[in-house]
Amino acid sequence: MYSLRNLTIKSFHEGLVEKKFSALEITQAFFSYIKETDKRIGAYLNLNEDGAVMAAERVDIALAQGESLGVLAGVPLAVKDNILIKSLPATAGSKSLENYIASYSAGVIQKLKKEKAIFLGKTNLDEFAMGASTENSGFHITRNPHDPTRVPGGSSGGSAAAVAAHMAIAALGSETGGSIRQPAGFCGVVGLKPTYGAVSRSGLIAMTSSLDQIGPITKTVEDAAFLFKSIAGQDVYDSTSVETSYGDELMNPTLQGVRNLTIGLPNEYFPKELDGEVGKAIEKVILDLETLKIKFKKISLPFTKYAIPCYYIIVPAEVSANLARFDGIRYSRIDEKRLNAKTLKEIYTRQRGEGFGTETKRRVILGTFVLSSGYYDAYYQKAQQVRSLIKNDFEQAFKQVDVILGPVSTTPAFKIGEKISDPYEMYLCDLFLSPSNLAGNPAISIPVKETVSQVQGDGKLPIGFQLIGKHFREADILAIGQYYEKIKR
Amino acid sequence: MPSPINKKLLKHLAELARIELNSREEERLSKDLQEILSHFEELQQLDTSEVKPMTGGTSLKNIFREDEERQNKYAGAGAEVFPEKEGGFLKVPPVFE
Repeated sequence: MYSLRNLTIKSFHEGLVEKKFSALEITQAFFSYIKETDKRIGAYLNLNEDGAVMAAERVDIALAQGESLGVLAGVPLAVKDNILIKSLPATAGSKSLENYIASYSAGVIQKLKKEKAIFLGKTNLDEFAMGASTENSGFHITRNPHDPTRVPGGSSGGSAAAVAAHMAIAALGSETGGSIRQPAGFCGVVGLKPTYGAVSRSGLIAMTSSLDQIGPITKTVEDAAFLFKSIAGQDVYDSTSVETSYGDELMNPTLQGVRNLTIGLPNEYFPKELDGEVGKAIEKVILDLETLKIKFKKISLPFTKYAIPCYYIIVPAEVSANLARFDGIRYSRIDEKRLNAKTLKEIYTRQRGEGFGTETKRRVILGTFVLSSGYYDAYYQKAQQVRSLIKNDFEQAFKQVDVILGPVSTTPAFKIGEKISDPYEMYLCDLFLSPSNLAGNPAISIPVKETVSQVQGDGKLPIGFQLIGKHFREADILAIGQYYEKIKR
Repeated sequence: MPSPINKKLLKHLAELARIELNSREEERLSKDLQEILSHFEELQQLDTSEVKPMTGGTSLKNIFREDEERQNKYAGAGAEVFPEKEGGFLKVPPVFE
């Protein structure tokens, strides 16, 4: 017998090849579980039942014919709804894309299709991935599976909640400034933001092109390594993607290798305001890692406090340019009322006025402002210079240490509605997250042991810690993470 | 630096951004933007006169390829959701009045 709860990518693969169950059986079990559970959570925006069932049948036939299958074959995945899967809706959580059907598949989806992975459906997000709570979705909110009165984090809140509530074995999210790590931390699952350029952005609905990256959300660090390995690599359709050579060390780290790493603890990531519980949880992680004989060193990332203003100038600037393509014509259906518009400009302004939510409008207009003549130097250019200083912080730190450790968020998941009326308060959620995005480094959010309870809805809230690595050194953070998981307490 | 955001500038920005706002939204966004910009003041304290701006996410240099003829696999894709078409083209109102 199997339980959906206990399935990881690894245990699913073992069960499948040992014929303990079929891919179809598990896929169907997931759909009935989702239909029963997701009414309470709201993780999915739409389901791909027909497509998933057909794909699962093909996996079972391949297995019956003796084909050797990769570790992702038949694995039921959830996909954030800003990642295109051909012939399925891709709304990016925006009303303006309510009727859009993807005409091609994202680079990562094409890779996963070759691996015969299965896509259960598309998950909820803050509109165009802008937000830290999934409350900005144009469709509905998503609830934290550990406490339904709290947010799952965001913007990949649907993907994190789906994995945490066992409505998928693993998921894809996307991150611009913490959007994978923060919801993973709030939901008690693992989230990896790869190095900028490690994973193709082709077919990811662009928000901030110089920051956006797709990455895995999983139950274990090992699963994150499996999923990352399969989506990494150059893609001709993303000119910023690079050829990567991740060898055996991603999947088979050695304890000696881990012991050779030095972990840096930045003063700036442990401020006085840090929630007491979060502080205690991170201390436990450090003690646990010390039992592995890993060395720690105190470091400083002095420009950390400038990251939020820097990030919230660069992001809206790029948002205002990237969202210009949503003209209300190319990706949407125009209703009769709008067909009566006399000029093209009227279609643009009305469609965008009606189709975009408050945060999207706020960022597009703010971005238009920081890029406008007379303000460009004071805001946009300044932010780009500060971004260089923040990147330099990491370059200096990584001369002394191999990995940086810190909390993901200052507090556990907050209440639904708590921050939605104060945009800057919401922006502060990215405090420890956006610096590594601006610098392009890989980073992983891992649940602190004993903060994730097996009983959902008992009010116990998960707390995450993060490990930040050198560029293209996902292997280091995944290695420490995999050994952390093995520690028995 | 006093906040440059006022209703008049906001209306102008909304027009440039091609977003129709109702008066309630104008009120709210004007307030929000003033508040957000006040947090950006902190950056002005930093002397960045010697700092080169970081203009993208990578340090990759331009990569060139031969300009060869290629088949576009996706031509016409997405047109199926468009309400008005004529001879393979999408029909929209005139750009100029």
